[in-house]
Amino acid sequence: MSSAVSRFIGGVLSRQAAASRLLLGECNPAVQSPCFFPVATLKTSAPLRAEPKKKKKVDPRREQMMRERLKKKLKKLERVPPELIPIEDFITPTKCLDETRERIPPTVSFEESESRALLLKEWSRYKQKQHMAEVEAIELALEAQREALEELKMESEELYRAALKPDPLLLPFTHEGPAYTPPIPNYDAPDGKYNDITKVYTQ
Amino acid sequence: MAAPCRKMASRSYSQLLCCFSRTAVGSGACRRFSVTPIDRATPRASTAADRATSPWSLMAAVCLQRLPVITADCSPIEQRFKQMLQQMELEKSMLSDHELRLMEDAERMSRRQADDYDSDEDLGDQEIMMTQDLEDTWEQRLKNFQPAPRVRADVDEDLTSVQRCLTDSLVLLAEQQVGAEKLWLLPQAAWQEGETLRRTAERALDSMTAAGVRATFLGNAPCGVYKYKLPKAARTESSVGVKVFFFKAILVDGTPGSAPTAPLLWLKKSELQKYLKPAYMMNVGRFILNL
Repeated sequence: MSSAVSRFIGGVLSRQAAASRLLLGECNPAVQSPCFFPVATLKTSAPLRAEPKKKKKVDPRREQMMRERLKKKLKKLERVPPELIPIEDFITPTKCLDETRERIPPTVSFEESESRALLLKEWSRYKQKQHMAEVEAIELALEAQREALEELKMESEELYRAALKPDPLLLPFTHEGPAYTPPIPNYDAPDGKYNDITKVYTQ
Repeated sequence: MAAPCRKMASRSYSQLLCCFSRTAVGSGACRRFSVTPIDRATPRASTAADRATSPWSLMAAVCLQRLPVITADCSPIEQRFKQMLQQMELEKSMLSDHELRLMEDAERMSRRQADDYDSDEDLGDQEIMMTQDLEDTWEQRLKNFQPAPRVRADVDEDLTSVQRCLTDSLVLLAEQQVGAEKLWLLPQAAWQEGETLRRTAERALDSMTAAGVRATFLGNAPCGVYKYKLPKAARTESSVGVKVFFFKAILVDGTPGSAPTAPLLWLKKSELQKYLKPAYMMNVGRFILNL
């Protein structure tokens, strides 16, 4: 099979180059090959020549132009400022604007409204007294500290300087504030399961 | 005596330097001349001299406070205001989901009670849980939980317990030997060479209380000072009196592991008067805030 193929190719190439005679010489010239094709009828075309096709010079330039155009489009898209993350607290949920939810406003009698106004005034007086007492207490404490530092300075400079140094271990200082009931000793709190449905926005 | 003399000397030196610089410049614009006082030149050498000459001996005390654990009860005006605010908020609010459900259920019940009731109107699966039943289950669950009691009268009477009077802040007092007598004071200790006053206060706390007590000291600076002169009999050349510097600390852990070494008391600010001397109380009361 391969010899027949080589003879066929040999017959085709004989017209082209003399070197092809070598190939012919390998096969038996005396043998009347059954695959003797009339060479004149065979046409040589480019695929049969098996040469690689030359690329046109315009192509790389055309491809570069396309790439540049795409990049420009991308840059235009990127220049758009990122969408602002909505603050969910500022958006009134539609549930609240529902009219069916409106309460029948109870009538407030004159005496009731008067007593409310008087109570508000009393409250403001009470709160003011409280605030002034707090401010005074803080001022007293500050005065006491100032005196202490003065006395310390009179005593020894070194201790005074040591007292003025900030304490790096103090902050961050945390303290649990008062609750309504005291903690139960040795209380085993039950595991609370919850589904976190907070929306996470990415820019 | 030594300090003011040094200051005068430095001032005169600086004046001399100023005159010198003015004459050197002449009639031109006077330059800014920074004067370094002589004080800063020799601080280290003078501290030892300071301590040796000062007639006051130093002590440091700690004002340990246990902050309130539960919220205080509302005063009458606070009660009234709270109620009024709640009422006003209810009037201004809209109906919640729960209330709407209650209203729908009531309507459904009334429709069922009506004579011309058509059972086909009702959808089967709405019968699952009436809102009232939901409320009852919630109340039941709340009743099953027993919180710790807010006020326990017997613990409040015990002055040595840290758990008393959970609504107020308490201060620690220790009975100490001062001179010839035993007095109730904030725990104090004498200052020793080579340590800061805060370290002295920490030492005072450790020596008076048990090992399990942990406190956070608020900063390196003292919050108050109390100085008293020794009685004439005990006064000598070198020791005229004592200066006690107070440091504030906040109790972090309230469970003492072992018994304290000295008798301790936890007192509210109003009760301090009974145990402290008047002059001491006036001084200490300034920085113990009852807030």
